[in-house]
Amino acid sequence: MNIQDNYQKNKKNIFFSENNDVKSHREKLIDIFENDKFDKKNNESIKNINLKNFLDFKYRYLAPEETSLISNNNDNNYSIVSVNGQCSSFKDDKIEITKILEEDYNDFSENNTIEKNEHFVNLNSLFLNCGFKIVIKKNNNIKIKISNIVTDDDLTIFQKNNFICEEGSSLNLIEEYENKNNSTSNILNVIKLEKNSQLNHFLIQDNSPSHNLIVTSHSSCKKDSTYTQKVYNFSEGYVRNFHFSELIEINSEVDLQGIFFLKDNNTSNNKTFVKHLAENCKSNQVYKGILNDRSKATYFSNTHVDQVAQKTEGYQLSKGILLSDNASFFSKPELKIYADDVKCSHGSTIGPIDENAIFYLRSRGMSKIAATKILISSFINEELNSISDDQMAEIIQKKLVRYLSKVK
Amino acid sequence: MFLEIKDLSVKIENKNILKSLNLNINKGEVHAIMGPNGSGKSTLANVLAGKEDYEILNGKINFKDNDLFDLNIEERAQEGMFLAFQYPVEIPGVNITPFLHSAINSKRKRMNEDEIDNLSFAKLLKSRASDLGINIDMLKRSVNTGFSGGEKKRYEILQMSILNPDLAILDETDSGLDIDALKIVTDGVNKLKTKNNSFLIITHYQKLLDYIKPDYVHVMVNGSIVKSGGSEIAAEIEKDGFQKFQ
Amino acid sequence: MNSETLNTLDTYSKNKYKYGFVTEIDNDKPQKGLNEDTIKFISLKKNEPEWMLEWRLKAFSKWKKMKDPKWSNLSFPKIDYQDIYYYSAPKGFDKKPKDLSEVDPKLIETYNKLGIPLEEQKVLAGVAVDVVFDSVSVATTYKGELEKLGIIFCSIGEAIQKHADLIKKYLGSVIPPGDHSFSALNSAVFTDGSFVYIPEGVKCPMELSTYFRINAENTGQFERTLIIADKGSYVSYLEGCTAPKRDDNQLHAANVELIALEDAEIKYSTVQNWYPGDEDGKGGIYNFVTKRGLCAGKNSKISWTQVETGSAITWKYPSCILKGDNSIGEFYSVAITNNFQQADTGTKMTHIGKNTKSKIISKGISLGKSQNTYRGEVSFLRKAEKARNYTQCDSLLVGNQCGAHTVPYIESKNNTAVIEHEASTSKINEDQLYYCRQRGLSHEEAVSLIVNGFCKQVLQELPMEFAVEAQKLVSISLEGSVG
Repeated sequence: MNIQDNYQKNKKNIFFSENNDVKSHREKLIDIFENDKFDKKNNESIKNINLKNFLDFKYRYLAPEETSLISNNNDNNYSIVSVNGQCSSFKDDKIEITKILEEDYNDFSENNTIEKNEHFVNLNSLFLNCGFKIVIKKNNNIKIKISNIVTDDDLTIFQKNNFICEEGSSLNLIEEYENKNNSTSNILNVIKLEKNSQLNHFLIQDNSPSHNLIVTSHSSCKKDSTYTQKVYNFSEGYVRNFHFSELIEINSEVDLQGIFFLKDNNTSNNKTFVKHLAENCKSNQVYKGILNDRSKATYFSNTHVDQVAQKTEGYQLSKGILLSDNASFFSKPELKIYADDVKCSHGSTIGPIDENAIFYLRSRGMSKIAATKILISSFINEELNSISDDQMAEIIQKKLVRYLSKVK
Repeated sequence: MFLEIKDLSVKIENKNILKSLNLNINKGEVHAIMGPNGSGKSTLANVLAGKEDYEILNGKINFKDNDLFDLNIEERAQEGMFLAFQYPVEIPGVNITPFLHSAINSKRKRMNEDEIDNLSFAKLLKSRASDLGINIDMLKRSVNTGFSGGEKKRYEILQMSILNPDLAILDETDSGLDIDALKIVTDGVNKLKTKNNSFLIITHYQKLLDYIKPDYVHVMVNGSIVKSGGSEIAAEIEKDGFQKFQ
Repeated sequence: MNSETLNTLDTYSKNKYKYGFVTEIDNDKPQKGLNEDTIKFISLKKNEPEWMLEWRLKAFSKWKKMKDPKWSNLSFPKIDYQDIYYYSAPKGFDKKPKDLSEVDPKLIETYNKLGIPLEEQKVLAGVAVDVVFDSVSVATTYKGELEKLGIIFCSIGEAIQKHADLIKKYLGSVIPPGDHSFSALNSAVFTDGSFVYIPEGVKCPMELSTYFRINAENTGQFERTLIIADKGSYVSYLEGCTAPKRDDNQLHAANVELIALEDAEIKYSTVQNWYPGDEDGKGGIYNFVTKRGLCAGKNSKISWTQVETGSAITWKYPSCILKGDNSIGEFYSVAITNNFQQADTGTKMTHIGKNTKSKIISKGISLGKSQNTYRGEVSFLRKAEKARNYTQCDSLLVGNQCGAHTVPYIESKNNTAVIEHEASTSKINEDQLYYCRQRGLSHEEAVSLIVNGFCKQVLQELPMEFAVEAQKLVSISLEGSVG
């Protein structure tokens, strides 16, 4: 079924389909789909995936029977279970949680950081059927853990979440995606950091092979704010992490990091994109991947420095380790620089585990497999050590051990 | 007057570094400025050389009958001012020999002297290098690139001896040098000393002044010169530190 | 158009050729526009055998179905292929400047700085001269010497006549006409270029250069160069010259194919300095070049070195296909853009064989309002065991109106291969400038010195004489934008 028919047929179940502005925007999106030849040569964001599966899908959404739980363990600690992308409303003097609103529908496209042919974002906008908005109020320092649960098979979740950190606030956000059913989640997180706010965002992804996860985020940072994102992808199913960030006011910083562990036939597509639109900002983009068996990965990173963004510091690094003959990794670390007073660099390596190191460890009596495992761990040591939350460190460690147990 | 600094106040990024500083240097004199870290010694050296990061709030500097502020960095250099840097910067890919050759010729041009040709220059460079115990192989390398701390300092002095300045400013030339290297460097300086040139030596320690005898020693604290005198001051500082001047 | 129609057309045109359509076209007045007649005219003018014409027509029919590639970071108006002359010799004198006073004075100034003799200046500037200055004798001397070694060095036109076997075997074997629209276009209409064949085991004793020929023929627009280094041979080839060259033809689309057989080595150096347009970005050459080398045999090596300072638009990716085991590909590049120039240049290293190695050193310098992009692809295919790549691309920005972009594509499908890539972008180091000026160098001299230092890794790969000229050229390219 084509996109147009699919939408028309299901629009009763889709958010905001009565709103005229939304309607006209969606008509444009449908046009984009109908006119795009989906040429992988000219749209690298669809490299390595079978787009057909995602475009020609059976729409199905179930509103959760039970409302989700929000618990406030102690003063600054919140725990949220989002069921099929929905979350009940909540309000106290520190945070406010509501459903996603009409006014939030298209609030990320101002600077064109997300391109017009980002089909997954367009699908999300078209078929939007769930999502919530969390506002952290001024000068509060809190921690939120969100478990994203999908209840049934064959669901198509199109979820949009807004996270707004008001002036001077600080948020530690942990999101878990651990689903075993045969569904597809397409999630768009729009993140706004007001002056002098901070967000440390962790995404732990560990789905079964049948579950597809598409996460896109768009963050924007105002003066003196810092956004840090760390993605840990242990999923056995397809995962797409595309994260866009805009530094819109001076002295802001963004750090986008990710590690992924792939095996079997799995594919993962990754992208980070930082747009420097103001002076004196810093950015960091670091992704590391381990690829085993017949797995495939792509990683696009991009630092865009606008003409006004003098005194920019931008850094990129991508590292891939191929454990098997049949794994492949494609990376494209891009710099687009229109200001002169900048320090930007990128590094990229792809290769096997260092033979010399293996030899060294074996000469100390270690088996080849043990040596390999140790070296994989050390490859991501920095990322693991930087997890300050003990509970989370433990969770990640366990998942790593599970992955390593399959390495032969 | 050869160099006359009058009432000089300088700031950088909203911080006042030099405050109403006065200093006079005559031809043939060796002056030393001593002071604790952060007293503004290196700022003074850079302001004299013309580095553009500073804002001159007040004061005048006269050098060889020129208003120094009318001259840009290279014009000052061509007029005979030389700064031996505390941290000489590496310039990869730029070979020492042609670098120095164009430097000397730009000076000669300004002085209306004939340019020195390749061959004579190579000869000059070789002989000066061997005077300073610099290996000829080093002259094939890029400016300061991959040099050790001591090599960099030695190479600064080599440049000084080639460019033969009227006023040489040595900014913490002794830092990072062991005693042997210090000897070679200071020997080099002493050889260059004549009745017609002057030296301004900036140092933190008195050690250097054991090898280069200054005619005047100034103590600089907090952006101004608080005491001037002969080499006895250096001994005083050696004994008691800068404490009592602050 | 279906294949049947094409066949019909083909037959029709062949017949037309057979029965001499020439009468329809005025011999000395080339026609604008691109169609089968144009191609037949070119082929006839060159007195080509029929198989060559067929080859061209096949390429043309491919071209008709193609669109210009879109991946680059360039912006320019759509090229009107029907508004171009495809056979430009003999050129009418009416369009040319009559003497040097009609030429952009900046150009003349540059010639003088490079110390180019007046007569030569005229030729380079495209001034109508009756007598081309004579370097023919020089060329013939060299030719004799080369012939003794069995080396063939002639125009591609001559090679088509005299060495049909080699042309048939190798032309289009590295760059298939259907590769992309510019290669199809070139294949259809190329008018001249060089042909080099180095026999087995021969080390060519001198640098071969297009410079020997350039005076006699009006090359440049759609050049086609083919270099074959047979087993165990070596050749170093120089293209272009440091002097800025004017040309009436705005569109240039050269193709260069290199083939290195077992143990052979080809070193190809280019200094490209086509007219970049004036300070307001008016005029200037569009340079869409396809250069590709095939390391066909074991232990072969192909090395590209380029200094790109000219052209309004440069679109160029000298590449290596590393097919033979242990083969080596290298790419050294300096690209300087100033005023309104745009460059999108880089390389493509495709590792197919075992133990293949590649090295990429790219230095981009952007000034004025220019845009300078490095675009490079390194890929390791499944069989490329123990392959290695090292890439370093650095960009330097002078001024805040220009752009420097780095777009590497890196792919590995082999788990024993290692790719290492580093890149950096920054403005010129203020401390270095200060240091140089403290030693008495002017700001402009200091910039030129530092930039030359920045490019040294590349410039030192050029043959000696060329390197000195190239250094001067780098300095001249920086002028006017500093201060």
